[in-house]
Amino acid sequence: MKKITELIKEKRIYFDGGTGTVLQSMGLPAGQSPELWNITSPEKIISLHNMYFDAGANIVKTNTFGINRVKFENYRELIGAGIKCAKKAAEGREDAYVAFDMGPTGQLLEPLGQLKFEEAVSIFADNVKAAVSVGVDLILIETMNDSYETKAAVLAAKENSDLPVFVTNVYDAAGKLMTGADPEAMITMLEGLRVDALGINCSLGPDVMLPIVKRLKDYSSIPIIVNPNAGLPEVKDGKTIYNVGKEEFSDYMVKIAEGGGTILGGCCGTTPEYIKMTVEKTKSLPYSLPEKKNYTCVSSYTHAVFIDKQPILIGERINPTGKSKLKAALRNDDLNYILNEGIKQTDAGVHILDVNVGLPEIDEAAMLVKCVSALQGVTDLPLQLDSTNFDAMEKAMRIYNGKPLVNSVNGTEESMGKVFPLVQKYGGGIIALTIDESGIPDTAQGRVAVAEKIIERAAKYGIDKKEIIVDPLALTVSSNPESAMITIESVKKIRELGVKTSLGISNISFGLPQREIITSTFYANALQSGLNCAIMNPFSQAMMQVYYAFRALYMLDSGCADYITFASAESTAVTNNAVVQEQTLHSSIVKGLKESAVTLTAELLKTTAPLDIINGHIIPALNEIGTAFEQKKAYLPQLLMSADAASAAFEEVKKQIPTEQSDSSKAIVLATVKGDIHDIGKNIVKVLMESYGFTVYDLGRDVAPETIVNCAVEHSCKLVGLSALMTTTVPSMAETIKLLNKTDPSVKVMVGGAVLNQEYADMIGADFYGADAMDSVRYAEKFYKG
Amino acid sequence: MNYTDVRIISAKSDEIEINRRELALRLKTDMDFADKALSECSQKLMDVITYRCAYIRTDISINENNICDLGFAKIKSVNLAKNLNGCSEAFIIAATAGIGVDRLLSKLKIISQAQYYMTDAIASAAIESFMDHASDKLSVGLNCAPRFSPGYGDLPLSLQTPLLERLNAQSLLGITLDSSLLMTPMKSITAIMGIKK
Repeated sequence: MKKITELIKEKRIYFDGGTGTVLQSMGLPAGQSPELWNITSPEKIISLHNMYFDAGANIVKTNTFGINRVKFENYRELIGAGIKCAKKAAEGREDAYVAFDMGPTGQLLEPLGQLKFEEAVSIFADNVKAAVSVGVDLILIETMNDSYETKAAVLAAKENSDLPVFVTNVYDAAGKLMTGADPEAMITMLEGLRVDALGINCSLGPDVMLPIVKRLKDYSSIPIIVNPNAGLPEVKDGKTIYNVGKEEFSDYMVKIAEGGGTILGGCCGTTPEYIKMTVEKTKSLPYSLPEKKNYTCVSSYTHAVFIDKQPILIGERINPTGKSKLKAALRNDDLNYILNEGIKQTDAGVHILDVNVGLPEIDEAAMLVKCVSALQGVTDLPLQLDSTNFDAMEKAMRIYNGKPLVNSVNGTEESMGKVFPLVQKYGGGIIALTIDESGIPDTAQGRVAVAEKIIERAAKYGIDKKEIIVDPLALTVSSNPESAMITIESVKKIRELGVKTSLGISNISFGLPQREIITSTFYANALQSGLNCAIMNPFSQAMMQVYYAFRALYMLDSGCADYITFASAESTAVTNNAVVQEQTLHSSIVKGLKESAVTLTAELLKTTAPLDIINGHIIPALNEIGTAFEQKKAYLPQLLMSADAASAAFEEVKKQIPTEQSDSSKAIVLATVKGDIHDIGKNIVKVLMESYGFTVYDLGRDVAPETIVNCAVEHSCKLVGLSALMTTTVPSMAETIKLLNKTDPSVKVMVGGAVLNQEYADMIGADFYGADAMDSVRYAEKFYKG
Repeated sequence: MNYTDVRIISAKSDEIEINRRELALRLKTDMDFADKALSECSQKLMDVITYRCAYIRTDISINENNICDLGFAKIKSVNLAKNLNGCSEAFIIAATAGIGVDRLLSKLKIISQAQYYMTDAIASAAIESFMDHASDKLSVGLNCAPRFSPGYGDLPLSLQTPLLERLNAQSLLGITLDSSLLMTPMKSITAIMGIKK
C-alpha cells in the first residue's frame, strides 16, 4: 500500500466521521468513556470502523482520543486494543489507513496553566510509543484548542516515530483557538514543525467553517483537513440532534472542497451516512494540492507576523550589551525587569522582540528558557531568539510557543552546521549574518556571496530561502567611513536574490554624539533601499518618526491613519508635560500620578540630594496617603496608585544613589505560603514596602517553608512576611513559622491575609498580625528603627 | 466529548452591566468610588473579556442523609441539600470570562500593582454579573433557588472535576483544573441552581 502522503498527491481522500454519536446508538451510555470499549466490546469498535470504510472513508481514527497516562493507568493496553480494532477493519481493503488519534490532555500548559511543556511532550510521547509498538499508518493530533499543547504533541510524534503527522485544531466562529491563535499562526508554526497536513475539526458546522477554510487555503502550503461537526446540537423531544443534516452537510462539503479543503471528513454528530454522501458529491470534483506559498513569517501563540512590504520593527532592548541595569537584573534573576522591558516595547509598537540574555557569569540556556517562557506570558509578540550559544538556542526554540525568529546563523561551517538542524526540527525564520571564516567582506559583492552560500547550504537541510532574512551588517561609521554605503548597497543587492533583509540599525552611530540623528537618517535610507526588518530601539522618538513617516510616504499606511495617531500622541505628551508642571512630587504621589512623579523626581534630582528626596518628599507623601487610608478617607486603589507612583519615583532616585549608600539594611522576605496561590495581598504589601524603600525578597506564591528559611538565611534578613488566603493553608503558615524559629530565633515573622486575625496569628506563633498593608509597613518601619 | 446536551450562552462585553455593589465590594471602596485610572482599567479589560457559559438542565434528588444526586455525581452536603430543598431539577452551570483576562492580569502584575488590583476586582465583578445575566435568562418563568457553588459551605471543591467534565467545559469553555482544583481561566465560576417544583 502507498504511503498516505503519496496517495494525497493523487486524489482526494476522506476521514471518517463522529465516534460518540455512532457508539451511543450502539448503547454506549452518555458520560462513559468510549475508549473502554476497545477492550470490553472490540466487535462494536470494529463495526464502527467498518461502517466508515464502507461509506468511502480512507482513514479511520482509532478510538483513542481521550487516552493518556494521566487519565488511564492501562493506557498502553487501551491504545493497543483500539489500534487492533481499526487494523482489523482495514484488513484486505484498498486505500484504507489507520490514524492513531491523540486528543488534548485536558490540562493547560504553563505559563497560564500548571502543566509543564516537557511533561506534556512526555505524556504524548508515551502514547506515540504505545501506538508505534502496535503499528499505524499515521498520527492524527486533533481537537487541539491550544497552540502550545499542539506543539508538544507534534514534537512527541516526530521524536518517537517516522510516521506522517496530521494536525487539526478547534477554531471558534471568529477563527481563533481557545487560547488565541488564528489560522495563520497555526499554519506558520505547524509548517515550521514540518507536519504533513493541517486543518480544522469539531466545534463548528461546515457552514461556519468556510471562511476559516479560505484562510487555510490562502496561507497553507500543505494539504488541508476539514472535519466539521454536523452543526450545533439541539434538543428536540428530549433527544439531542445536530442541526445540519447529511444532505445539507454534504452540500457544504462541496463548497469546502471547492474552497480549498483537501482531505474531508466529519466530527461530532456526523455518521457514516454523512461521509458517504460527502464522498459521493465531492469525489469527482477537480482536485489539487494547495499551492506552495512564498511568505516569510514568524509567529507567536496568537498571530503570525509577515515580513513583506511593511517595515518590521524588532525591539532591541532585551540585550545586556551596554545596559548595566539589565546586566544586574540578569545576575539577580530579576525577571520582572526583563518582562517590563518586553511590555514597554510591545506598547511602543514593535512587531517582534529580540531576546538576548547572554552574560558570561550566568547559565545562558536556563535564563533564555526562563525569559522566553515568562515573556510569552505577558506579550503576544513573536520573539527573536538571540544567542551564540547553540545549547541555549535549541532549548529556547524547543519551548517557544510558535515559530521564532532565530538570531542568528552566519556563513561559517560551525554556525550553519549547528543552526540549520535546529531550524529543520523546530521551524524558524533565520537572521543570516554576512560573515564567515574570513570575516566580514568589505564590499557589497563579498557580502552577497556569503548570503548566497548560506542560502545554498540551508537548501540542503530542506530550508527554503523564504526563511532566510539576510543581515548584511551595519558597522559603525565613525571607524569605517564607507560602512553605511556598503551596507545600503548590500541591502539592495541581497533583495535581488529574492530574500528579505534585516539590520541592527543602532550600531551605525556608535561612538558619535547625538547618535539618534545618524541612526534615524541611516534607517530612513535603508528603508528606502528596501530594508525589511530593523533591530532598533522603539523608545527612540527619532526612529519611530522615521518609521511612521516612511509608511505614510510609501503608501504603506492607508489614509496616513497610523501616522496621524502617532503624531497626535506626540502632541498630547507635550500637553501632559504642561499638566505635570502644575503638580509637585508630593501631590503627584498623593494623587497616584506615576508619569508626573517620575518627571518631577528627575527634575528635583538636579537640585536636591537623592536621600533628601526620599525623606523629604516621597516618604511624607506616602505617609499622608497612608494616614488617609487608615482614617478611611482614601481607598485601597488610591493607596496602590500612590505606591506605584512612589515606587517609580524611588527607582528614579535610586539611579543616582551609589550602591554602597543605598539602605539595604531595610529588607524583608515576602511569600505566600505553600499550597496557596492567592498572592494579591502579598503583592500589595510588596509594592508598599518597596515604595517605602525596603529591599523586598519576593518568593512568590505556593512557597515551601524551606525556601523561605533559606532565603532569610542567605540574605541575613531578620524580617519575614507571610500571607495566606485560604483556611486550608494556615497550617502551612504555622509550619513555616516553626521552621523559621528553629533556624534563627531572632527572625520576626509578620502574617496577614483574608483568613487571619490576631487570635489565629497568636495561635500559630506569629510576631505580628497586619490587618492591612499599611499596618504591615508601620510594623516593618518600627522593626528597623528599633 | 460524550455529552451532546450542553448548551451555551455567550455575551459581548458591552451587553453585561457590571454590578456596582459587587465591584465596590471587591475594590473595598464605596459604591460611588470613581477614578480615571479605574475606567482606564475597565476599558482595557473590556477589550479582552469574552463571556461564555455552558449549562445543562438535569433531574436531581436529595435523600434524608443529605446526599444530593445531581445525575453526574452523588455528593453529601448539608448546605447544598438545604439550598436545593423543594427542587427536583437544577441547572448546572459553568461560566468564564476567558483566558484573555488571565493574560492581561499577568501583564499588569508586572507593570502596576494598582492597575492589577483594580482590573482583578473589575474582572471578578464582571464574571459575577455575567453569571447573574445567564441565570436570569435561564430562570425566566421558573422559580429558582439561589445559585450554589462548590467551595460554599460544606460543598467540596472536589465536585469541580465531575461538574466540569459533565459540561464539556474544557472543550466548550477552555476551563481546566489545576492540582489544587482551581480553575483556569481564573475568572470562571461554576454553580448549581435548583428549580423549585
